[in-house]
Amino acid sequence: MNEILELLSYPFVIRAIVAGSLISICASVLGVILVLKHYSLIGHGLSEIGFASLSIASALKVPAMMVSTPSVIAASFVIMFVSQRYKTAGDIAIAIASSAALALGIVISSLTGSSSNTGAYLFGSVLAVSEGDLIFAIILSLIVMSAFVVFYNRLFLMTYNEDYAHSLGINTTLYQLMISVLTALVVVSGMRITGTLLISGVIILPAVTAKSLASRFKTLVIISGVVSFAAFIAGLAVSFAFNIPAGAGVILSNAAILISAKFLAMMIKRK
Amino acid sequence: MNERLNLQHAVIRYGDNIVINDVSLKVLAGEMIFITGVNGSGKSTLTRGIAGLLPLSSGTLTRSERMSYVPQVEEADRDFPACVREIVMTGTQRRKKLFYSRRDRLNADNAMRELKIENLSDREIKTLSGGQLRRVFLARALCGEPELLLLDEPCAGLDIESHRILFGVLEKLLANGCAILMVTHADSDLDGVKNSRVITISGGKIHE
Ligand SMILES: Nc1ncnc2c1ncn2[C@@H]1O[C@H](COP(=O)(O)OP(=O)(O)OP(=O)(O)O)[C@@H](O)[C@H]1O
Ligand SMILES: [Mg+2]
Repeated sequence: MNEILELLSYPFVIRAIVAGSLISICASVLGVILVLKHYSLIGHGLSEIGFASLSIASALKVPAMMVSTPSVIAASFVIMFVSQRYKTAGDIAIAIASSAALALGIVISSLTGSSSNTGAYLFGSVLAVSEGDLIFAIILSLIVMSAFVVFYNRLFLMTYNEDYAHSLGINTTLYQLMISVLTALVVVSGMRITGTLLISGVIILPAVTAKSLASRFKTLVIISGVVSFAAFIAGLAVSFAFNIPAGAGVILSNAAILISAKFLAMMIKRK
Repeated sequence: MNERLNLQHAVIRYGDNIVINDVSLKVLAGEMIFITGVNGSGKSTLTRGIAGLLPLSSGTLTRSERMSYVPQVEEADRDFPACVREIVMTGTQRRKKLFYSRRDRLNADNAMRELKIENLSDREIKTLSGGQLRRVFLARALCGEPELLLLDEPCAGLDIESHRILFGVLEKLLANGCAILMVTHADSDLDGVKNSRVITISGGKIHE
């Protein structure tokens, strides 16, 4: 108990908890849209591109966010539009782009001798949360929450059937762009805490959990956010207790919740 | 002018395959147009073009902004987590209109009542039969107060009673000035509606 209180007295711990929780919630509510639209791989692709961009930033000795943010946003546009236009080819495009980006990142880090950073990028670090990151996370979550409130009906329709939305005269490209940019920002801000390897799990796992528990879009969004928040706190606690990387702790908590939810859903169906 | 649709010299193609070749079509308020033709002649392609879901490679399209469309096949996940009412309500969305009004809710309730699915309104869509789902998509199109209604084989899968109900609803819309284009294969649909025309598509052209 005393140890916990002591931990909470460090500002970096508080920053990690607040920023991490907010980003986890944002990731998971956007994840509902991505999972239902069968765009689950997007987070994965973006994070590998994020990894390459972090390597480039450190090779050029410029602030990481200045390179990552625009490159991940650009990549998210490309991936969304390729997936939309070519359906199955989208998966292949993401797989190619993400492995190429990962390889590029590794080459750059080893050539520039900054490969000691590679581990930090891949696995993330809660120590990495600066005051600026915290403010960014707060603003981002305000934007994501208001987007869900203001555009709820649109996001519902866009997720269900984009063609139909288009036939009603709705500018579907605009909403597509909105989802892309928000996903990209979540990836960029989240990947430094959970690591580029695991941020896509934070996007996808809570949504899949929610899908097995709920049968309405709105409940899915809420459950996904709650699950993600709980899994983040649990994961962080585990990571402090056993001194393991936070991202891994968070993903394992998410996986444990997902398995329990599937089990629960199975039991209820049996009855 | 009460023109609801004006298509001039429209060409629609998939790659090199020209499916609609220089077609012109005008539809006025209160008019009912039946579109017929053999499988693969381009009926769905034409309606998708009018709905704005396929680009015209040449020609011009002017039509009412308030258009509702019932596709031949719904390109969406049957597994989607939503109930009937939520899907029907989406038909009232329009550009620049983010929230549902009281009137939208009333329209949705009316449409569900007319198509006899009001008792299904809280059911998850994945639990519906094919014909029930069909009526959901029809209700979704009806509740948007359309001035132009595009129906791509709406009667496929409908029972006799629902078919009769649908035509009753369409008559009312026509009387209120809505223009309707309906793709159909059933000869029996073609008579019995006043102020209607039949056009047949073949070889990329329409024949009256
Ligand atoms: N997405 C597509 N890509 C390429 N060709 C297509 C596509 N959709 C339809 N076609 C082709 O266009 C032609 C017209 O198809 P369309 O679906 O418009 O026919 P239809 O008249 O609606 O037929 P049906 O009575 O079977 O519904 C067909 O030859 C079809 O092969
Ligand atoms: Mg057809």
